[in-house]
Amino acid sequence: MQRANLYHDKRAQWGVYFVFFGVLAIIPLLMDDPFTMNQYARYGVFGMLALSVSLVWGFGGILSLGQGIAFGMAAYGMGATMQMQYQDPVNDPIPSFMLTNELEALPTVWEPFWDTHLGLILAFGIPVLFFVVFGLLMFQARLAGAFVAIMTLAMLGAWYNMAYDMQPFTAGFNGISPPSAFEAFGVEVDPYSNMIYWVSLGVLAFLTISIKALLQTKFGTIVQAIRDDPERARYLGYNVAYYQTVLFALGGLVAAFAGVVWVMISQYVSPTSLDIFFSITMVIWAAVGGRMSLFGAIFGAMFIKAAESYVGDEFQATWFVILGVVFIVVVRFLPKGFAGLFEYAVGFVPYWRRNG
Amino acid sequence: MSVHDFWTPFALEPFINALLIGLSIASIWLVAALGLTIIYGTMGVINMAHGEFIMLGAYSAWVMQYFIGIPWLLTLPLSFVIVAFFGWLVERGLIRHLYDRPLDTLLATWGVSLVLIQSIRLIFGGEPQYIDAPSWLKTVMVIDFIHIPWMRIFIFFLAIALVAVTFAILFKTNWGIQIRAVMQNKEMAASFGINSKKIYGLTFAYGAGLAGISGAMFTGLKTIFPDMGLGYVVEAFLVVVTGGGDLLGSVATAGIMGEMFSVFSYFTNDTFGRFVLFILIVIFLRFRPQGIFSPSMARR
Repeated sequence: MQRANLYHDKRAQWGVYFVFFGVLAIIPLLMDDPFTMNQYARYGVFGMLALSVSLVWGFGGILSLGQGIAFGMAAYGMGATMQMQYQDPVNDPIPSFMLTNELEALPTVWEPFWDTHLGLILAFGIPVLFFVVFGLLMFQARLAGAFVAIMTLAMLGAWYNMAYDMQPFTAGFNGISPPSAFEAFGVEVDPYSNMIYWVSLGVLAFLTISIKALLQTKFGTIVQAIRDDPERARYLGYNVAYYQTVLFALGGLVAAFAGVVWVMISQYVSPTSLDIFFSITMVIWAAVGGRMSLFGAIFGAMFIKAAESYVGDEFQATWFVILGVVFIVVVRFLPKGFAGLFEYAVGFVPYWRRNG
Repeated sequence: MSVHDFWTPFALEPFINALLIGLSIASIWLVAALGLTIIYGTMGVINMAHGEFIMLGAYSAWVMQYFIGIPWLLTLPLSFVIVAFFGWLVERGLIRHLYDRPLDTLLATWGVSLVLIQSIRLIFGGEPQYIDAPSWLKTVMVIDFIHIPWMRIFIFFLAIALVAVTFAILFKTNWGIQIRAVMQNKEMAASFGINSKKIYGLTFAYGAGLAGISGAMFTGLKTIFPDMGLGYVVEAFLVVVTGGGDLLGSVATAGIMGEMFSVFSYFTNDTFGRFVLFILIVIFLRFRPQGIFSPSMARR
């Protein structure tokens, strides 16, 4: 028997996950308020975004300030899909914002979105493909650290400008607001219902548990080894660029899930989804909650967003000053975020583990 | 924008104007990137708050002019001093403790930038402010088909002057020798009796001061508002990173980037021009992550 920290017990971790998602799952049964459910479903999306940052940065050591690229691309894909569900092929084939931008025919890039399944495949496929190409570009050149941060930031800025400027295709600043709720496989997902909450929470739980399981495989170990010392991993014969690219693309996939669910909830997509500020905020959530802990990152996102909405618009500037100061303090004194503090506290709980 | 007029055909006279505007844009990006270059080149710190240092410079110029009535030209050096002092404080209080964690400096300075933007918004409000520049700077120089505002010419020459001063400091003064020594090998420099902590503090202050003076300069061209810094910082970073953190590299990169942006924008439009430029830079960095010059510098 050996004294250990309960925090690192795998079974305890899984237990906490199941309790956490279980408790969240029964909330709608207690409240039954469609508008609150819509609000809470949004927290699920923020959780997914923090999850993607935690996966890529906390476990892979890749500080990407461009997770919003995948989020925004998927959101636009989903927005287009939902818009085309509303359009009628015979009577009303062109979305109204295109007509006001003097387009006479539906642009070719919009054609595939007539088909909901194809639209969904594109909404996930394009961002992931982009992240694979972009990741290969960076990681084969052995870029790391601040370089990756700056390049992802620049790329995000480029896409933001495009979404803003390609008005006939993206509705520019106004954004696309599909008039009807998303419908697939014969089910309509009403954005103001208990169902939207369960969809959001279900996706979040699915992603969290999959990532948790993935990180316990050999792949997860290698990825964390690369985070700690890429050079050593390379000498051991691992193809670092390959692992980093796969991880980066997985992070993109998680952010793409967030984008798709976000548009289902809000029925709206605009260039703000590609906003630089928003993408860096995701990093703050993960950093404050604890980037080395999936649970910590999700909790950080939900907690910060909940506090933000509690403070309200009136004191928003003050709130951001507080958030900035908290962020600075966390970076300076708590590199593992509040999860690190929690880990320290749990260390005092008496707990023994069998040797071996 | 409509799809039909996306592409502007080539015509000599507007194209020459575009090239001249490119020079002006290059000088603005260079000034914005100059302080960042010094800071990144010397200590490898990515200072995300640089854009907000520029904003602080702009606000100090505005406050001095609006509340005290100091003439605009005089606010430039004063903004340098104010922001340099502020930068020195930030280095002392925060960045000094994070030198061995470069990624965390990036994050911490982003926190600083968030606090600065919102504090300024709380104090002065979010509405845009304007500065009153001397009247001779508000006119436009016209030679045949060439139209350039005097303000842009002024900024162009001020940029050259600032680069010259920085060069002189780096290569002609004792302090500059110490900076370069610390830049090349911190431990070795320390063993020769150079106080690297002091050098870092002063260099950071100087870089921040450069941001301050550039912010004060930009008030001549643009309005002043709390998150104006974001409009400069991404381009400034790209100049620094593409230039390899080297002063000459930054000058060359700013020139090339400014001209390319202006030419792309001439044929298409501003946003598409920026998009193409960013993509090209990302591809360029794939093949030369060490930047255009500086083949021997340690890769950070």
